Amino acid sequence: MIRFLEFSNHALFWYYLASNLAYLVMLIVAIKTSAAHQRRLESHRLPWLKESPLAPPITIIAPAHNEEASIRVAVRNLLQLDYPHLEIIIVNDGSQDRTLLEMQEEFQLRPVRAVYIPEVKSAAVRGLYRSDVDVRLVVVDKEPGGSKADAVNAGLNVATSPYVCVVDADSVLERDALLRIMVPILADPKRVVAVGGIIRVLNGSEIQGGQLRRVRLPRKSIEVIQVIEYLRAFLIGREAWGQGNMLMIISGAFGVFRTDLVRAVGGYRSRAIGEDFDLVSRMHRHLLEKGADYRIHFVPDPMCWTEVPSDLKSLGRQRARWQKGLLDVLWPNRDMLFRPRYGRIGCFALPYLWLFELFAPVIEILGIATIILAACLGVLSREFFLQFLIFGYAFATVISIGSVLQEEITYKRYNDWQDVARLVSYCFLEHFPYRQLHMIWRLQGLWQYLRGDHEWRPLKRKGLESAQAP
Amino acid sequence: MESIFEKLWRLGPAALVLKAIVVAITANGLLLAFILLRRAYRKRYFAKRDKRVFEIRQRWDALISGEIPFETWRANSFDRRIIETIALDAFETAGPQESGRLLQFLRESGLIEKRIFEARQLTGWRRMKALVALGRTRAPEGIPALTEGLRDRDPETRLAALRGLGRMACPEAADEILAWVGERGLCVPALPLQSALVQCCAERPQVLIPFLQYADGPLREVLARVLGEVATPSLGADLLQLVGDEHEELRAAAARAMSHVEPALAFNVLSQLARDPTWFVRLRAIISLGGFSDPRAIPVLLHGLADSHRLVRLRAAEALVGLRTKMVAIFQQVTQMRDRYGLHAYLTATENADLLEKLKLEVQASTHLSEDEKKHLQKILKSGMLSSEEPAIAESVPVKGAERL
Repeated sequence: MIRFLEFSNHALFWYYLASNLAYLVMLIVAIKTSAAHQRRLESHRLPWLKESPLAPPITIIAPAHNEEASIRVAVRNLLQLDYPHLEIIIVNDGSQDRTLLEMQEEFQLRPVRAVYIPEVKSAAVRGLYRSDVDVRLVVVDKEPGGSKADAVNAGLNVATSPYVCVVDADSVLERDALLRIMVPILADPKRVVAVGGIIRVLNGSEIQGGQLRRVRLPRKSIEVIQVIEYLRAFLIGREAWGQGNMLMIISGAFGVFRTDLVRAVGGYRSRAIGEDFDLVSRMHRHLLEKGADYRIHFVPDPMCWTEVPSDLKSLGRQRARWQKGLLDVLWPNRDMLFRPRYGRIGCFALPYLWLFELFAPVIEILGIATIILAACLGVLSREFFLQFLIFGYAFATVISIGSVLQEEITYKRYNDWQDVARLVSYCFLEHFPYRQLHMIWRLQGLWQYLRGDHEWRPLKRKGLESAQAP
Repeated sequence: MESIFEKLWRLGPAALVLKAIVVAITANGLLLAFILLRRAYRKRYFAKRDKRVFEIRQRWDALISGEIPFETWRANSFDRRIIETIALDAFETAGPQESGRLLQFLRESGLIEKRIFEARQLTGWRRMKALVALGRTRAPEGIPALTEGLRDRDPETRLAALRGLGRMACPEAADEILAWVGERGLCVPALPLQSALVQCCAERPQVLIPFLQYADGPLREVLARVLGEVATPSLGADLLQLVGDEHEELRAAAARAMSHVEPALAFNVLSQLARDPTWFVRLRAIISLGGFSDPRAIPVLLHGLADSHRLVRLRAAEALVGLRTKMVAIFQQVTQMRDRYGLHAYLTATENADLLEKLKLEVQASTHLSEDEKKHLQKILKSGMLSSEEPAIAESVPVKGAERL
């Protein structure tokens, strides 16, 4: 028993060390990649791209479910985006509120027979509308499909462009976000099949007329911690995975995909819990099985701002759902593990996700439990425990501050001194007790999934209006 | 007394963890210090720069006219960078007269020579910056230095040189780029090359033709796409050689380029391309035909309306609606085709153009149609479906309440 406890404590130490080392490597790769990206951008001319005949058309698909509070602002924001050839499809996913009426009033929608070919599965469509105010706007009114994936599929069936950009209706895109996200596609249209953009936390910032007016750090601690998490996940994690062509997730809030490829893999899986992760993994599988030479990119500068949960209950539900989504994708794709046919995805990306993402809550919580047990039995080396604690804390803080540094030297959206000071302080504060709470939520997610709860449930949000400047 | 290092050494394996703690804490301290120092430095730098920019702006005319001797600011790199940035930004929006004045200033002040020197002698990112800046000056004397950059071993430097040449936007730069790709093949991503060539060949697209004849593979596609963008009516006969090319990208480019050619020559060629086996070649041909807004294209466009690809059908419908003439006759022919997808596309395009009511009125007022024909057409307009057919929308949209597909 004692030997088991000692082994378990040491195993936890090495697991933690390996996890942080992996992140450290990613931090170094990410800093190098962003520096190169920044320098490269210096010789790009986005305004030229805006008028370029070479820019391929894009269809934006934004599913909306009970978004009456924010739908006007959200659609206006999309219509203001800088891009030469744009089609915007809003999918009203069986809203029970005034979402459709709000759009009808604001954008003078009239019923049309826009071509709808059900190439990918989706719930029944009630009607199709086009705006008299801006002909680029098409609204699909459909029966509730029970998931965002189902709504996006309906949009896919109407889309007429070679590329689709899937966004959340309650997100705010910066005006030049599409131009920026298309740069890798324009540079290599044959190989680049999808590009993910960065998602930033909208809470606390001021928006006016659908546009972000001033970026501020949120007031609540729980929101600030999420800012750090997003910076770490996107500016370090995705940047580094993208660099190695091993990007497994393109956030559902903002990503561009080749339309024919999304249709070829059957669109989004309606019953998927993490539909964005599921789609990208199926795209990888499809292309690797065909032996295609392809790339899935991540671009860190086209910003999409989204509202994050502002209370523990919603956040807990969101994180549990993410963990369920992870298992929901990793389990069906377990045959890809360590198979040379699936290249880096099978040999690096998926094993990493299994070991450091899926099993993390189990390993960490078991580890904490064994430490407590060892302490109770009087076999815990106090010296080892203290060292492990300090080391783990200091190392994890390096990674968090590293992500703030990454933001600071590249995109620098938080201009206020106070904001940066708060951001850095939370890098030190997020480890207790948020991290442990986070692990419990993730464990709950796993438990729910194993018990057969595979439902996709939308989160309650305040809506864009709440973030507007006074 | 034992030193701290000796004590650490004696700790054995625990020393490793302690060392790691020290390293991690030091790393935290360094990261924090870096963020703070960088912020403080940048704040000071931007305040200083802002003040200096304001001062320079106040004396801008005197500066570029040479009234203020160039020697007074050239040696100061801080001032020189600001002045060059202002001058290059002004270049982007300047008219011909102002451009001439700015170019003269850049020449006389030696800024161009300095950039040429940097583009040749520096390395890494500084060289790349110099190459792009040199291109922004649009000074022809910069072309040789940019051409040398094109032949660099580093792909990023080659790209910077290519962008620089693109910004020159002159046929001489196009000649250099084409000679380089002719000799090295496609050794940069296609988009920057296309962009640079589109900018440089706009004035004289003929320069592309000889290279297009000898190029092969992806490079040939890139050149054809550029030609499709910049073609002029004078290229008509040269474009004909691309029409029968085995490469679908080239036929598509030819179809696009044909939209710039005399309609008399283009019609036959585009009609042929509108029946191409590749859908995007047909699409390009239909779009180009639509661009002429000529009733002679109606038969081909009607054929496109029954195409197997939805985008081709949509564009053909848009082109037919865009004619805005013979609406009733066209609509009658659409219904006679008995193709519900074609009808669907046509009605969609009519609705999108907000011409459905107009079409209804024209059908009602038509003197060429019998009453029965009018009724028949009105019925189709109202229902959106062909007689004895299911409604087109129901054909494609899952029925409400039905099992999820």
